[in-house]
Amino acid sequence: MPKEALLVRTLVELADSLVDDFDVVELLSLLADRCVEVLGVSAAGVMLAAPEGDLRVVASSSEAMRVVELFELQSDEGPCLDCYRGGEALLNEHLMAADGRWPRFAPVALDAGFRTVYALPMRLRGAVIGAINLFATGEDSLSAEDVMAGQALADVATIAILQQRVASESRVLIDQLNTALTSRVVIEQAKGVLAERAGLSMESAFEAMRHFARDRNLHLAYVARGVVDRTLAPGALSTPRPLRPS
Amino acid sequence: MVGARLLRILSRLEAGGTRPGPARLCEVCAEVMVMTGAGIMLMSGDVARGSICSSNRVSALIEDLQYTLGEGPCVDAYQQDEPVCEPDLADPGEPRWVAFTPRAVEAGARAVFGFPLRVGAARIGALNLYRDRPGPLDDDQHADALVLAGVAARAVLGMQAEAAPGMLGAELEAGSDFRFVVHQASGMVSAQLEVSVGEALIRLRAYAFAHDRPLGAVAQDVVARRLRLSHDPAPGQEQ
Repeated sequence: MPKEALLVRTLVELADSLVDDFDVVELLSLLADRCVEVLGVSAAGVMLAAPEGDLRVVASSSEAMRVVELFELQSDEGPCLDCYRGGEALLNEHLMAADGRWPRFAPVALDAGFRTVYALPMRLRGAVIGAINLFATGEDSLSAEDVMAGQALADVATIAILQQRVASESRVLIDQLNTALTSRVVIEQAKGVLAERAGLSMESAFEAMRHFARDRNLHLAYVARGVVDRTLAPGALSTPRPLRPS
Repeated sequence: MVGARLLRILSRLEAGGTRPGPARLCEVCAEVMVMTGAGIMLMSGDVARGSICSSNRVSALIEDLQYTLGEGPCVDAYQQDEPVCEPDLADPGEPRWVAFTPRAVEAGARAVFGFPLRVGAARIGALNLYRDRPGPLDDDQHADALVLAGVAARAVLGMQAEAAPGMLGAELEAGSDFRFVVHQASGMVSAQLEVSVGEALIRLRAYAFAHDRPLGAVAQDVVARRLRLSHDPAPGQEQ
């Protein structure tokens, strides 16, 4: 299959798996396999930053120990870690000429038969969430088109991970959204009640509730609810605050 | 193919950054669907909460009408959990939305479509689409709208994901109209008439409907103390 058709097919496959609830590791494994096919490299791996900030390998085109080990090594040093930290692609890094840049990683990679390594960042807004790592046995450089194709695959993987994160947390997020909206509605209603009863502007009504809540260590939404259901008299809010050292 | 559709939509959105804001979301919805306008309404517990974006003035009005009147394509799409299409609003097959329809037509909408915003089994609102000439959606557009609604729903939750507890996401807060003034006015009317805030809102809606005015404008007048509703549900008094 021509390279371009292969890339299009891959992007479509990846996008397809976004539609329903999908297994993100399965998706990223597919991505790693396609990187090998589309870009003509020997091995590919997807590294994501763990919450603690170190890189973990989540998918690899090969389960061979020598390859997996290379990805694992890079939680400490290596082109993928450099790419992740710097947020820039590392292209065509010839390991023979690495000059002690990666003293632990480079010899192991050369031993495994690889000569060239590439890393493409997975960017989300300003942040980098991981990187795609590619290994080749030759010393050919990737063409500009190949780099663009690789970055397109990395971008789709990034969107996939983001949409998956949202989907997996959707129950909680929907509850949070509804709670936030409901509290805001009650606060606005309470401003209205207080503005009318105490003859205040909306701003002063809000300030009065905020001071009252802060001085008594209460949630603003709780105070607002009291104002709205009349369990808290407007007079209570305008009484002087508890004494403080002046 | 769903994947190709989604990819096309995501790459359009991506032109506005990996995480587009509400405004870009609405623009892309209108562009992809070849509609005159698009908007996104959030709802919960069968109540419209407000609009997070609308691509033009008419689209905003269509959302405002549904918010004021409690009826229309988005309200139905959300409540029935399925797409609601009215390809000819001026000459509908079966009359529906008695209060909404004449006002929407007058504003320039000739076809309206509502698609529920779903994430998994949950619904959070509806996608609002309108066109200034009549005509149904073709199969392609219908399929696009389903994908768009899914993308929009996830994007909205993505905007909420970074919010502090109890707060709205910053992007949602900034670009949206959650009609806070309406709730302030409900509070004032509730105090004036000694009724619950729920009943106060019903009174405000009735007043807006009877005087053929947007609920938001009536609420503004109440908050500015230019208008006091009377105990008699009908008229209300200008101050």
